[in-house]
Amino acid sequence: MAEPRQISEEEQRQITRVCAQATLLLLQHGAESALAETVCRRLGLALGLEEVEVVLVANGITLTTISRGHCCTTVRRNSDRGLNMQVVTEVQRALLRLEAGEFDLAGVSARLAQIQPFRYNRWWVALMVGLSCAAFARLGQLGQGEALEWGTLGWAFAGSSLAMVVRQTLAHHGFNPLVNFALAAFVASSVAAQGVLHGWVGNPRLAMAASVLLLVPGYPLINAVSDMVKGYLNMGLSRAGTALLLLLASCGGIVLAMTVWNTWTWL
Amino acid sequence: MNPFLLILEDALVAAIPAVGFAMIFNVPAGALKYCALAGALGHSLRLGLHKFGGLPLEWSTLLAAAVVSMVGIQWAQTWRAHPKVFTVAAVIPMIPGVYAFTALLAVVEIDRTGYTPELFAKMMENGLRAFFIVTALAVGLALPGLLFYRRRPVV
Repeated sequence: MAEPRQISEEEQRQITRVCAQATLLLLQHGAESALAETVCRRLGLALGLEEVEVVLVANGITLTTISRGHCCTTVRRNSDRGLNMQVVTEVQRALLRLEAGEFDLAGVSARLAQIQPFRYNRWWVALMVGLSCAAFARLGQLGQGEALEWGTLGWAFAGSSLAMVVRQTLAHHGFNPLVNFALAAFVASSVAAQGVLHGWVGNPRLAMAASVLLLVPGYPLINAVSDMVKGYLNMGLSRAGTALLLLLASCGGIVLAMTVWNTWTWL
Repeated sequence: MNPFLLILEDALVAAIPAVGFAMIFNVPAGALKYCALAGALGHSLRLGLHKFGGLPLEWSTLLAAAVVSMVGIQWAQTWRAHPKVFTVAAVIPMIPGVYAFTALLAVVEIDRTGYTPELFAKMMENGLRAFFIVTALAVGLALPGLLFYRRRPVV
C-alpha cells in the first residue's frame, strides 16, 4: 500500500475512473465477482485512497471511493463482451505492476486504455472445437468401455466444427446469444443426424450428444456457483439464469433438428 | 483394457478439449500448455478415483478439481495471472454437458409424449447429477482459497 499522501479532488475522481474501468473490463470479459471486487479495491488502495466500496449487479456496478472523508461515487453500465482471459490477465498484471511501484496513476490508466481484446483465428478455433467434441465422444467411449469407433468421432467433429463457424458468424453479426445457440445447436444436431440416418455412426446417442457439447456454457456455470459460494448471491443467480437459458435455447435447437430429421435416438 | 493404458489414453484425450475451450475463452497462448496439462491431470485423476478408487463420480470430481486448482495456483504465482485464467478451461472436460442436455430433453419429451415415470426419473437423475457435478467443480476450484488463502489474494 502506498504511503498516505494528499490527494486532490481531481485526482480522486481520476482514480475512481480507473477503478471503475478495471472492474468493468474484468466483468465484461468473464471474471468472477470476487476477483473483480478484489482488483478494484487493491487498485484504489494502491493509488492512495482510504476506502473503496463496490456493489455488483448483473448489468452494472456502483463504486464509491473515500479519501480525506470525501466520497466520490459512480455508476457504470456493464455489458457482456464475451469471455476473454487475455484481458483478465492484462488487468491483473497492470495491478501487480502498480503494486510493485512500476506504475503511477497515469501509467496504470494508460495501460488499461491500451488493452485490446485478443482473439484467436476463427478457423483455428473451429478446428480445435471440432477436435474437442470428437475427444468428448472418445471420452464417452472410454467411460463406457467401448472400443474406438471412428464414425462417431468423425460425425461429432463435423457437426461441432460447423456449429462453431455458425456461432462465430452469428455472434459477429450481433445476434442475441439465445438465437445464436439455438441455431448452432440445430446445425450441429442436423449434421450428426445425417450420420445417424445413414448408419455411419456406431453409437448414435454419443454422436448426437458430443456434437452439441460446444454449446454448454461451462464458464458461466462455474462462475455462477463460485460467486454464490463466495457470497455474491445475486451475481451467481443471474449467471446461473443466463447459463440455464443458453442450455434451454440449445435444447430447443436440438429438438427442432430431431423433429426435422425424425431421429429420436438421444433418449 | 489395462488400467494404466486406460488412464493414460484418458489423460491424452482430455487435454484436447481443455485446449479447444481455452481458445474459446481466449486464454493467452503462453498459458495453453498449462490448460492442456491440468486438463489431462484433472480428467484422468477423476477417472482413476471413480473407476478404480470406488468413489462416486461427484466426489471424484470434487477432489480432481481441488487438485487442478492447487496446481493452478502454483503456476499462477509464477506466471502472474489469476489461476481461473487456466483452471476453468482445465476442468471443462469434466463439465456434465451430456447429463444437462439429457435432463432438459427429458423435460421436452414429457411435454411432447406425456408423463411417464421413466422419463421423469431420467429428468431428475440427469439433472441432479449435472447440478452436483457443476457444484463439485466450482467448489473444488474454490477449495484452496477457502482453506489456505482465506485473507490474502492468491496472486
